[in-house]
Amino acid sequence: MKVGVYICHCGVNIANMVDIPKVVEAISGQTNVAVCKEYQYMCSDPGQNMIRKDIEDMGLDRVVVAACSPRMHEPTFRATVADAGMNPYCFEMANIREQCSWVHEDKEEATQKAIDLVKSSVARASLLEPLQSTEIPVTHSALVIGGGIAGIQAALDIANSGFKTYLVEKEPSIGGRMAQFDKTFPTLDCAACILTPKMVDVARHPNIDLLTYSEVEHIDGSIGNFHVQIKKKPRYVDPDLCTGCGLCAEACRLKGRISSEFDMGIGKRGAIYVPFPQAVPLLYTIDPENCLLLKHGKCGKSPKCEDICDPGAIRFDQEEEHIDIDVGAIVVATGYNEFSPVVKEEYGYGKFKNVMTGLELERIFSPSGPTGGNPIINGTEPKNIVFISCVGSRDKRIGNPYCSRVCCMYIAKQAHLLKEKIPDANITVMYTDMRAFGKGYEEFYERVQKEGIRYRRGNAAEVYEEDDLLFVRAEDTLLGEPYELPADLVVLGTGLVPSPDADSIGQMLHLSRSADKFFLEAHPKLRPVDTVIDGVFLAGAAQGPKDIPDSVAQASGAASHVVNLLVKEKIHAEPIIAEINEDACVGCKTCIVLCPYEAPLYDDEKKVVTINRAVCKGCGSCAAACPSGSIKMNHFKNEQIVAQILEVI
Amino acid sequence: MTEEFKPKIVGFLCNWCCYAGADMAGTSRMKYPSNIRIIRVMCSSRINTEMIIKAFQTGADAVFIGGCHFGDCHYVDGNYRTKKRIDVLKRLLSHMGIEQERLRLEWVSAAEGEKFSKTMAEFTDTITSLGPSPLREIKEEAI
Amino acid sequence: MEPELRDYVGELLDSGTVAGVLALKDELGAVKPYLFTKNNEIGDLVLTSKYPLASVMSMLQKEDPSIKLAIVCRGCDERALIELAKRNQINLDNIVFVGIPCDEEMADKCNCLQPYPKEIVTGEKLSNWVPKNNYEDFKNMSTEEKLIFWKGQLEKCNKCYGCRNACPLCFCSDCELENALWVKHGRLPPEFPIYHVIRAFHLAGKCVGCGECENACPVGIPLMTLNHLLREDIKDLFGYMTGQDIEDENPINTKEEY
Repeated sequence: MKVGVYICHCGVNIANMVDIPKVVEAISGQTNVAVCKEYQYMCSDPGQNMIRKDIEDMGLDRVVVAACSPRMHEPTFRATVADAGMNPYCFEMANIREQCSWVHEDKEEATQKAIDLVKSSVARASLLEPLQSTEIPVTHSALVIGGGIAGIQAALDIANSGFKTYLVEKEPSIGGRMAQFDKTFPTLDCAACILTPKMVDVARHPNIDLLTYSEVEHIDGSIGNFHVQIKKKPRYVDPDLCTGCGLCAEACRLKGRISSEFDMGIGKRGAIYVPFPQAVPLLYTIDPENCLLLKHGKCGKSPKCEDICDPGAIRFDQEEEHIDIDVGAIVVATGYNEFSPVVKEEYGYGKFKNVMTGLELERIFSPSGPTGGNPIINGTEPKNIVFISCVGSRDKRIGNPYCSRVCCMYIAKQAHLLKEKIPDANITVMYTDMRAFGKGYEEFYERVQKEGIRYRRGNAAEVYEEDDLLFVRAEDTLLGEPYELPADLVVLGTGLVPSPDADSIGQMLHLSRSADKFFLEAHPKLRPVDTVIDGVFLAGAAQGPKDIPDSVAQASGAASHVVNLLVKEKIHAEPIIAEINEDACVGCKTCIVLCPYEAPLYDDEKKVVTINRAVCKGCGSCAAACPSGSIKMNHFKNEQIVAQILEVI
Repeated sequence: MTEEFKPKIVGFLCNWCCYAGADMAGTSRMKYPSNIRIIRVMCSSRINTEMIIKAFQTGADAVFIGGCHFGDCHYVDGNYRTKKRIDVLKRLLSHMGIEQERLRLEWVSAAEGEKFSKTMAEFTDTITSLGPSPLREIKEEAI
Repeated sequence: MEPELRDYVGELLDSGTVAGVLALKDELGAVKPYLFTKNNEIGDLVLTSKYPLASVMSMLQKEDPSIKLAIVCRGCDERALIELAKRNQINLDNIVFVGIPCDEEMADKCNCLQPYPKEIVTGEKLSNWVPKNNYEDFKNMSTEEKLIFWKGQLEKCNKCYGCRNACPLCFCSDCELENALWVKHGRLPPEFPIYHVIRAFHLAGKCVGCGECENACPVGIPLMTLNHLLREDIKDLFGYMTGQDIEDENPINTKEEY
C-alpha cells in the first residue's frame, strides 16, 4: 500500500489559516504514506501533473488530496488519478477549506483539525477498494417539463441536435408567462412577435412530441434511462378534427361568462375556449368545471358547440390518457407564478378594484387582451398612476427575502407604455432600490425618467380609499419626508414565486430546493443548470427569478448538457452501491421493507436477498439496518468509516 | 491548573444536504468552533448504532448527525429512519447513564450554511458545559 | 397436566392435523424441548418449565418447510413466533398454536407485561395483570448513578454470548457482537458499553420480553432492565408493541412520521 498525500494551499485560502508545513510534517510519518507534498493549487495543471507523475514513478495505489470540498473537485482528481492508471475509487479528499480554513479563526486549532482530517482521509484511503463502474445504455430522447419560453428553447435546441424530445405543458397551449406579456423590456419588442414563431417551430418540429394539457404523473429510473408516465387530460375535442375555427366558442352558451386564466381574470371566455388566439396547438378545449353538459349533464336541448362543429370534433366521452415514455435526460422548466399580493393587506389588493398586479396590467396592454390594448381600467382611463415596487420581494416579513430581478424593469416598461398611451398621465414609481443590471437596462431606466415619470425612493406604506378616490401613503427616504399621492390606478410590482407544480415535480425527481423554494442547482457558480440528480437539468425561473434573456440562455445551457449526455451510447454507472454477502444473509427482508428503490429482491430459491445493481442508488440505509451485517455499502464500508472515527478522536 | 476542556465532536453528515450546508458555511465564511471532525456519508441513514457507540467509546464527547429536512432526502425517506434510529438510541444512551444531549440530530439543507454554523457553535457550548464524556473518562482510567 | 390439554394435543396428532407437537418433555428430571409425534408419548409432556421454543420451531421449519406442527406456547413464545414470522424466519400458516397461560409466580419472575397468548387451550389468563416491578428504582436513578450501576454490572460480563444464544429473536448466522470492528476480540470484560448497547439496540422493536437472556446470564446481569425500558420507549415513541400482529412492521425501519 502506497498512499500519496497532497496538501493544497488554495492560494492563500487554506495557507493563511492552516500551517501547511506542519501538516506535511505530521502526515509524512503516517502508516502507508509514501509521499506527502504541498502545492499552491493542486487542481491546476502542474498540481494534477505532480500527482500523475508520482503515481507513475512511485507506484502509488492510493491518493489523498487535502484541499477544498469533494463536492467541488472529487470528480477532477478522480479523473487525474485514473489518467495515470490508478483506480479512481482509491482516491480520497480531505476538506480543509470549506470545513476548516474558511470557518475557523485560530490558526493552531485549524492546523490541528486539518491534520486530523488528513489523517482520517489517509486511514480511509488505505482501506478503500478499487471499484469498477458498469456501463449503462442511454435512451436517446429527452423530456422537457414546462412549455414556457425556457422549455420551448430547451426543447428546440435538443430537437435541433437530432434527438426526440417530449415537451409537456399542463395548460392547453405552450407559451407560458411570456405569451401573456405585451412588450418586453428594454427593447420593447412585441412579446408575441418573437415568441409565437418559436411556438410554431415547436409544433412543426419533426423531433418534438408536444404534449399539452398534460401532466407528469410519475418518474422513476435514473440518468440515461428515466421512465415517465404522463397524464393527458381530456380536451373533449378530437385534435385530429378540430380546425381551430372558433365557431364553437362563439356558440357556447357560457360565452363571456367565465374568467379567463390567461387574462388574469380580467377577460372572460366560454366553457369551450383557446387561452389566446395564437395558441399552439390551436385546439379548442372544454373546461369540465364549467361546461353545462359535463358538469350538469344538460346544455339546453343540445350542446351548441357540438351542433355548430361541422367536422364533428366535439367528444364529450373523451377520457384521460396515460402515456409511458422512456427518456435519457430531463429538463425541468416549471417556471414561476406571480406573487399573490392578497397577503399584503396594506395595499388593498382584492379590496380596491383599481389596485392591480403587474401581470394583470400586461393583459390590459395586450392588443388581444380584454380591453383590446386600450388603457381602460374598470371603464375609465387613469390619470394618476402609482407603481409600488418589491411587492412580495425583498420582504422578510412574508418570507421572501430575495429580489425577483424583473420587477424594477417591468415597472419601467409599463410606466413607459402608459405614458405613451396616456401622455397627460401623472406617473410615479415608488421604489426600494433601482436594479437595472442587464444589458441596456440602465439606459432604458434613464430614458423612462426623461419621459417625465417620477421615481421616488422609499416604498409605499398603505393604500386607502376616501370618497371613491385611492390614496397612496409613502415615505420619500431621500428627502426623509412622508407624502401622499392620489391615484386612480395603483400597480403592484409583484415578485416571482415558484410554480406550485414544483412541489410534485421536485418530489418525483428528488430535487432539492434553496431557501427561496426555487430548485437548487448543483453549484451556484459553476453548475447553474445541473441538479444533484444526474441527468436532470434546470431551465428558466424554476431555478430562480429570471428575465427572458437569462431564461433562454439557461435553457440553451441545459439543452447542451442534455445533448452532451444523449450523444453517448453508454454512460458509466456509479459502482458505489450496496452489495450483499449471500452466505451471511438470513433472508429477514429488513432491507426490502426500507429500500425506496426496490433494489433488494428476495430470492425464493436461495432464501436470501440479492441486490439489483441497476436501481441501487447507494444510500447505504440497508447496510445500516441489516441485523447480520451482510450488506456492505461499497466505498462506505463499516471498516472505512471506523478507520476515520479512530483518526479524528 | 487543569487544561481547558475542548470537546471532541464527531460529525456524520449526509453528502447532499448537511455536508453541502457545511460547505455553504465555508463559502460564506461563517465562523464556528473547530471542535467538530466531519465524516461524509451519502445518507444519514447509513450511520448505524455501532458507529456512534464506537465514536463515544473511542473518546468522542459528542456525536452530531446531519441530514436533509423531511421531504428533501436525496434517497426519498432515509432521514425518517435516521430520526427513528437516533431517537431510540438517545433513550438507550440515557438508560446507560450517558447524557442524551451528547447525541444530536439536525436537518440542515444545502442552503443553510448559517444554520450549520450556528448549530455547531451552540452544540459545542452545550457539550463544553456538560464536560467530558463519561466513556472518555472510563477509557482514560483503563489506560 | 390438565386432561383438556392432553385431549386437545392427542386429537391434533390422531387426526393428522399436525405431524408433531413441539413442547417440553420431562426426561429423568431434566426438562428439554421435544417433538411429540405419537399419542402415547404425551404423558411426558410438561408445562412447568420455560424454554425458547420459537427458535426450535424456526429450526424445524427450515429443516422441512412444508411440515405442519403444533406448539405448546406461552405468551412470550407466541410473540416470538409472530416476530420471527415478520422477519421471514417462521411460517405461521404451518403452525397450530396450543396456548397456555402463565401463573402469577411465573409472570412475576419475568415481570411479564402479557403473560398469556391470544387464545388458550387450558387454564385461565391472569386477569387485570400488571407486573409488580416497573423498574422504578432504576428509573429514579440519576444519569450518573445509572452509569455507575451499569459499569458495575457489565464488568461481570465474560462474553459467553449466553444472552444472544438464548434469545428467540437472535436468528442471524453472522453476529455483529462477534465483529472485531465493534467488540474487540480477546478482551474481558468487553469494552463498556458497546457489546450490550449493540445487543439492546438490535432487539429494539423485536424483544418480546421473554426474559431468556437474563435467565441465561451466568453472572446475573439484569439484562431485562434494559430491554424493558426500550420496550417502553418504543411504545412511547411509536405506539408499537412487539408480537401482536404479523402485519405490524417494526417502526424503526419504516418511513412513517411519528
